[in-house]
Amino acid sequence: MSAPDAVLALVDVTKTFPGVKALKGVSIDVRPGEIVGLVGENGAGKSTLMKILSGVYQPDGGQIVVGDKPVRLTSAAEANALGIAMVFQEQSLLTNLTVGENVYLGNEAQFTRFGIVDWRRLYAAAARQLAKVALDVDPRNRAEDLDFASRQMVEIAKALTLEEVAGHLVILLDEPTSVLERAEIDVLFSRVRALKDRASFIFVSHRLDEVLELSDRVYVMKDGAVVAEMPAAEADIPKLHQAMVGRSLQAEYYRESLQRPPGTEIRLEARGLGLTGAYRDIDFTLRAGEILGIAGVIGSGREELTRTLAGFAPHDAGTLTVNGSPVRFANPAQAVDSGVGYIPRERRVEGLVLFLPVSANITLPDLGRLSRWGLIDGAEEKRIARDWVTRLKVRTPGIDALCLNLSGGNQQKVVLAKWLNAKARILILDHPTRGLDVGAKEEVYELVRTVSAEGVAVLLTSDTLEETIGLSHTVLVMRDGTITHRTDASPGHKPAQVDLIPHMV
Amino acid sequence: MASFLRHIASDRVRQWLPLATLILLIVIVGTLEPVFLQPATLLDLAGDTAVLFILASGVTFVIMLGGIDLSLQSMASLSSVIVALTLPRLGYAAFPAAIAAGALAGLLAGLAHTRLRIPSFIATLAMGGVLASTALVSSGERSITLGADDRGYLGWITGTLAGIPNVVIIGLVVLVVAHILQAHTRFGRYSAAIGAGEPATYASGVKVNRQKVIAFVLSGGFAALAGIILTGRLASGSPTLAAEMLLPAIAAVVVGGTAITGGVGSIWRTLVGALIISVVRIGMTFLGVNIFAQNIVFGAVLVLAVAITIDRSKIPIVK
Amino acid sequence: MSAASPLDAPDAPPKRTRRLRLAAWAPVIVLMVLCAIIAVVNPNFLTFGNFVRITQTAAIPLVLGIGATFIILMGSIDLSVEGILTCSAVVLSMLVLNGANSNDLGILGALIVLAIGGLIGLVNGLIHVRLRIPSFMTTLGTWFIGVGVANALLGGMAIRITDPVIRGLAVERFLGFPWGVWIAALALIVAVVIQNHTRFGRYLFAIGGGEDLAVLSGIPVARVRITAFALAGVFYALGGILVAAQLGLGNAQIGTGRLFTTVTAVVVGGTSLMGGEGGVLRTLVGVLIVVVLSNGMVLMGVPSSVQIGVQGLMIIAAVASSIDRSKLRVVK
Repeated sequence: MSAPDAVLALVDVTKTFPGVKALKGVSIDVRPGEIVGLVGENGAGKSTLMKILSGVYQPDGGQIVVGDKPVRLTSAAEANALGIAMVFQEQSLLTNLTVGENVYLGNEAQFTRFGIVDWRRLYAAAARQLAKVALDVDPRNRAEDLDFASRQMVEIAKALTLEEVAGHLVILLDEPTSVLERAEIDVLFSRVRALKDRASFIFVSHRLDEVLELSDRVYVMKDGAVVAEMPAAEADIPKLHQAMVGRSLQAEYYRESLQRPPGTEIRLEARGLGLTGAYRDIDFTLRAGEILGIAGVIGSGREELTRTLAGFAPHDAGTLTVNGSPVRFANPAQAVDSGVGYIPRERRVEGLVLFLPVSANITLPDLGRLSRWGLIDGAEEKRIARDWVTRLKVRTPGIDALCLNLSGGNQQKVVLAKWLNAKARILILDHPTRGLDVGAKEEVYELVRTVSAEGVAVLLTSDTLEETIGLSHTVLVMRDGTITHRTDASPGHKPAQVDLIPHMV
Repeated sequence: MASFLRHIASDRVRQWLPLATLILLIVIVGTLEPVFLQPATLLDLAGDTAVLFILASGVTFVIMLGGIDLSLQSMASLSSVIVALTLPRLGYAAFPAAIAAGALAGLLAGLAHTRLRIPSFIATLAMGGVLASTALVSSGERSITLGADDRGYLGWITGTLAGIPNVVIIGLVVLVVAHILQAHTRFGRYSAAIGAGEPATYASGVKVNRQKVIAFVLSGGFAALAGIILTGRLASGSPTLAAEMLLPAIAAVVVGGTAITGGVGSIWRTLVGALIISVVRIGMTFLGVNIFAQNIVFGAVLVLAVAITIDRSKIPIVK
Repeated sequence: MSAASPLDAPDAPPKRTRRLRLAAWAPVIVLMVLCAIIAVVNPNFLTFGNFVRITQTAAIPLVLGIGATFIILMGSIDLSVEGILTCSAVVLSMLVLNGANSNDLGILGALIVLAIGGLIGLVNGLIHVRLRIPSFMTTLGTWFIGVGVANALLGGMAIRITDPVIRGLAVERFLGFPWGVWIAALALIVAVVIQNHTRFGRYLFAIGGGEDLAVLSGIPVARVRITAFALAGVFYALGGILVAAQLGLGNAQIGTGRLFTTVTAVVVGGTSLMGGEGGVLRTLVGVLIVVVLSNGMVLMGVPSSVQIGVQGLMIIAAVASSIDRSKLRVVK
């Protein structure tokens, strides 16, 4: 299966986590001096694959072949020794150390005599490494004094130190451009190309245009499998996108027949809303029964906007009104008091208290209503919890089961139940189907339709454009902190993804 | 060793381990020293446990939400000094005054922890220093023995009711109050939620900082009450009266099965833990172990109990 | 990116850098201002005799602070200072020429004590790392175990040290300073070398700066952590030797209050409790601040029992002003 001259090959690799088959027999090979692009939606298995290659996870089945030898990678150090290096999207340099110290971190032995590190030699060597990537920075500077693009180059310089031990390298670039400006990306790409005689690269990104620009060959992953492989020269964005999504859009997947026209009552309104360094001049209205989707790439400001509406990052410009009264949420408690419920991206961190039972999670935001003379009415709490478990069809051994033991989809139902129980009239859905399998996703879509039909206003950011369009009544597109486009998305008028993408990138 | 501990920790046995340990210890000590099992000795044991239990109950609230209070022995000592100094003038009002001082100290420690975002162990370590200093200065660095007149105010501590020492009854009242607070109020629920998952609790609209401050206020107040009872039993106040009580109090909480990482625990477990500590102490006394050297055992028991009860999945990086 | 040199790139914050450097000097400025104020109020402060007194008072907290700095640099904490110190002082008093038994091991006794300190520290590290117990809990346990052992050995008594070499550390002078001060200075130099010129020293900063990233860089984090605790134990034991020499005896109360002064000195000096920032030279400044302040308070007639309270407030002020709050999601 793998090409004969491959420097690195994965052969039929599988990886299963409790409840999820993350990789279903993935085969990928990398040839000398090649830049291989790897694309796929969130949850397609890219990050699992990266973690297997960097020794963080071990595969359940299949083989990793380096050169012509099958290997086992059980730690980052082992992967490094075999010439596999990882460059992460951000913050993988220790900012409290100098650039030179970072370059040789963990490899100081060659500069050490009688236990004493010869810093002068180390910095001289680090300067040579920095020269390889054409980065003109004093290695004695602290890493925190560098901009993100330079830090990325330092990481590559650090990866190149492995040359001395491992010969030809394979460097994994995991979303390296997500924090960079366009000009910086150009520089990064030209440096990466210039290094092709020294190393092969695996380039993971969600920005399809960049993948096409940089890569020689592209793999497309979907649901834990490679679904397409093509030379970059033969690929274009629609083709990759088609492969990533993998199915022609079925209207019923998003329960469009259940989509009701929104009411007239304005629940949430933003006028000139801004937060320094994140977004500005945001105008929108959200009506009862409306689902408002916000599309945009990382860095578009939509994530920060979502956090503002949920009470985590108060805005510093413009006005926000809930049911006609102006608000500024200093903390989530104030948002909750205004009837806002937040379904977060990190379900297991911010969505649920995993180590508390289902019942306690459902009643957590609204315990006041359950209390009499300061005491919680335990019987009533149980009744309420059972009621919600039945209504939302939560599959759980019982209301006393810890949320830890529920599947992702059922956990998400509990999160929803807690806000419905708290009578939230505005729901902020922050990537509500992340990490869920297809069946669970469909159940979530159905519930979203139901609460929407009951008059709850929903603001949605999603992992995929398809989901945003499929669920929403209205779609806003954000780029660089402002709204660049808004469009109707009622049934029958759903915009095509290709029409929105130009407004996003 | 680690895998053995994991076995115990992962087992359902863990929940009943403290109680089983307590019963086993009582049987062992009772076999070695039959006097131990007589009602009078057991009542003495209960009386001796009361102070420790009250201190431990207070810090249980803090540990439940994932913090720690290292100032409680200083607070209890300061409370004894306050009572000893003000009893002649204030009479019974000296007791609420001492408890109010404890609550105030807890409030300040809680505010330092939440507003200034200082880790609780360092905030309370520092607060302990301030309290110790206050106690030393106000007492003139000596212990204050109460006069015969003042001892009249201490009857509610030293007396008995139907043959049961009042301290035991006070301990039971504390047990009931603390149990209700912890198991049946919003504060108790929020504490458990914060300890089990602070980000999710915050995102659910719970005023996390307020709950934390309340926990520190309760811890300070309970420590002050413990100091009052110590004053009553010894008929004197001293700036170092409770100096040896920090470790046993925290050990009692952890030995009872409350996880140092927070979220899991109860006052009942703390009661069991406090009784274990008391029985161990009596057992060691029977064996003739120096009272100060007993700290060797408590230190070891503390570390072992933490090792068994700690939830490692909640701390990816152990610092 | 040669174009994106730190100076003109939007993300490069040269201003922040300068402020950081200023913050690093803040403790030194505090120390100088403190000295100036006390010198104005009481001219005796500036005499050579008082200077010697200050160095003599600073020697022990410095040695203890060095040990604690290594731990705090990793973002951990060591509460076992008093336990190891007390245990060491008591064992020393029983091994060298003393008033209670016939031992006379002299310098060998002191070396044994250093080894014992290192051993207890090693146990700290092993329990903390292998059983994955937070360091403050582990060392809280060993704090009391150490004091308990001292109590068990002595049963509340004190042993007088009559060994002339040990006593000489506090009494004999070289170039006007007691030998204890020279030993502390040597300890400081050794610590600076370890911190700045060895891989181990660099790894302490790396672990404190980001342990997960340190692991990815192939740093043997577990081994470094255990070594650091063992090394800290040696420094505490050295502190114990100096304390015993100064007081001329060993007893179980000898360590009381030392932890407090140590933590105060380290954080006041500017070493971050979050780890990754600071160092032993800053701890030297922190120790001098604490010692000069208490020296000044003594000169001004403030009772010494107030000092522990003042130190408590200093800890809160120092930690509160140094914590980068934006970095912390949950503070426990």
